[in-house]
Amino acid sequence: MNYLIVGASSGLGRDLANTLSKNSHNLILISRDKRDLDVIKSDLENRYKTKISSFEVDLASKDSVVSFLDNNEIKLSTIDGVLFPIGMMSDNDTITQIKSEIDQINDANFLSIVKFLEKIIPIFNEKQKGTIIGFSSIASSLGREKNMLYSASKRALNSYFESLSATFVNTNIKVQFYILGYLDTNLAFDKKLILPKASTKQLATKVLKNIGKNNIKKYYPGWWGLISYFISIIPFFIIKKMFKFIK
Amino acid sequence: MFKKKINSLDRSTNVDIFIKRPDKYREIEKFSLSSDNLITMGACASYTPASFKKNNLSLLFTKFDRIINFDKANKTITVEAGIKLSNLLNFTLKENLWLPQIPGYPSITLGGAVAANTHGKSSDTHGTIRNQIKSILIFHKTHGWMSLSDKENKNIFDLTIGGFGLTGTIVNVELELIEITGCNFTTTIEKVSSAKDAVEKLNNKDFSNLFSYSWNKTSNIKKFGEGLIFNNKVNENEKNLPIRKMNFKNKSLNKYFTFNLWNKYSIKFFQNLYYNYFTIYKNKTINDNYENVLFPYAGKETYFHMYGKKGFIESQLLVPLNKVDIFLDELEQLINVDEPDIVLFSIKKIIGKELFLRFENTGICFTFDFSKNKKNLNFLEKLDVLSIKHGVKPSIIKDSRLNSNTIKKCYNDFENFRKNLSEFDNKKIYRSELSDRIGI
Repeated sequence: MNYLIVGASSGLGRDLANTLSKNSHNLILISRDKRDLDVIKSDLENRYKTKISSFEVDLASKDSVVSFLDNNEIKLSTIDGVLFPIGMMSDNDTITQIKSEIDQINDANFLSIVKFLEKIIPIFNEKQKGTIIGFSSIASSLGREKNMLYSASKRALNSYFESLSATFVNTNIKVQFYILGYLDTNLAFDKKLILPKASTKQLATKVLKNIGKNNIKKYYPGWWGLISYFISIIPFFIIKKMFKFIK
Repeated sequence: MFKKKINSLDRSTNVDIFIKRPDKYREIEKFSLSSDNLITMGACASYTPASFKKNNLSLLFTKFDRIINFDKANKTITVEAGIKLSNLLNFTLKENLWLPQIPGYPSITLGGAVAANTHGKSSDTHGTIRNQIKSILIFHKTHGWMSLSDKENKNIFDLTIGGFGLTGTIVNVELELIEITGCNFTTTIEKVSSAKDAVEKLNNKDFSNLFSYSWNKTSNIKKFGEGLIFNNKVNENEKNLPIRKMNFKNKSLNKYFTFNLWNKYSIKFFQNLYYNYFTIYKNKTINDNYENVLFPYAGKETYFHMYGKKGFIESQLLVPLNKVDIFLDELEQLINVDEPDIVLFSIKKIIGKELFLRFENTGICFTFDFSKNKKNLNFLEKLDVLSIKHGVKPSIIKDSRLNSNTIKKCYNDFENFRKNLSEFDNKKIYRSELSDRIGI
């Protein structure tokens, strides 16, 4: 099978590329920096002898995404599935500091995915099959003071994937959506967190195991589902009190 | 930034440091430029604090572990420096190729091995890892990306191999691999009556053996150095067997028992047990797998834990061939007087040539492990004097006690290294506890 991985150069994307290539799938890898892509490509080709193509695309830039999509329609027509392990955070992501990065965070976490699927879904419709795998964050469960736009764009992504699931519920186009807790990636490496970080390698193995299934919405690690559920049933006036208490 | 308390493996140093873990090329640049001083960290499995400094930044390089190029016909491979040596071998051994200069623990990274110019157990045949390095790519905060080889930036190339990471972050390394006919070994065990007997036998080694090294007893002063020589050769009957992938669990080397369990009684007990196990219970010839042969410390981490909270000191000494007899005579006299508690004593031969601060020359390498107490520290000070007297090189990467004065006297090229490094980086941007201690 041929899979497109959007955001393949580090963290979960890199482990997904490794796991899929190890299982003899050919890959198209997309990421921002050619240096990282070149190294991942040669590593996978040397280790697993699979076919790897790579493209330098800045997912935080609408122009870069549109240019890639317009120029690579033939390449995209070969894919059987697409995975979006992308996420962009910024230390400036607060109500007063965000300014110039608003578009970048929105594009990287949400709008670039919509743009990609705008091109890919017609291809899957024509083939009458395909797999779409998205990754959101537990940060989407509740608004917050820091990573404000990140959580908002991830919440938009949740809604978008629910819509995709509803659209393709009775078809061979499989929609899978993972809501991720803390992962051992560079986004979380130097942060002191109360709860443990999960392994991206184990998650990649799980994604591969589930790849044939339809309409998946899963929390990873699973216990974040419980936390998310409690957050959703707590009345907002209590949440406000919690914010006050934390401050 | 993420602050973490960290221990050197020998537990000589326990400090708070900042850690960043780049996993993209632009992050190497970004993190390096963000800090006044830094050093690169691989597995952090050096006995001495070579990959960190108090309140300084360490760049944890473990995410850079990919194969960039492999040319089977020319037997070359280019790999990122954060690759664990066991993972590198998992790839190359499938192709009947290997890197012989492998230190004793599987999680050690290639970058760490290059920065320490490691020698492995076939050091009498293959010398140090320097012999396999064709080129290196480094990133330096002020000099940026630099390709190093015999043809390009040769001076920095030479400073980087065995340069303790002080010339910048080693990003990737091109290696010339060596053919190996099989990965299962036959180990033959030979008794030796003394350290001198071991040296003589190791010096006249049968080169059909890939590895030859000794383990010697220290608990009986009258029979000091009595022990065993282990000879490992490829098992010709099993050379076509498929290679099993090495998969070492991440055991913490840094754990320790509350108290030091090594004293003269336990040393005597364990040394006699080990000696009798191999001389009475085991056959003289045994079949062994390559994990055990290449990485003898893997799975035996308890050995380090037993030194307790105070830790241990490893003294590794490279004695020129023409000084071995007199050095051993004087060493035995010193041991007779001071009676230090030597937990481990091992001998092997090394070939090579001196340059800068590399632990390399043609000579006999003696390794001693001590628990850290006043008696042993006094003995080690006398051993330093003996080393200076006979032109013996103590290993800088192994012994956390060594000061600038001793190293200056034992390494002819000390000032040359310092001068060259200073010309390259006069601000001393890349520094560690080790480099500060020895004054480079």
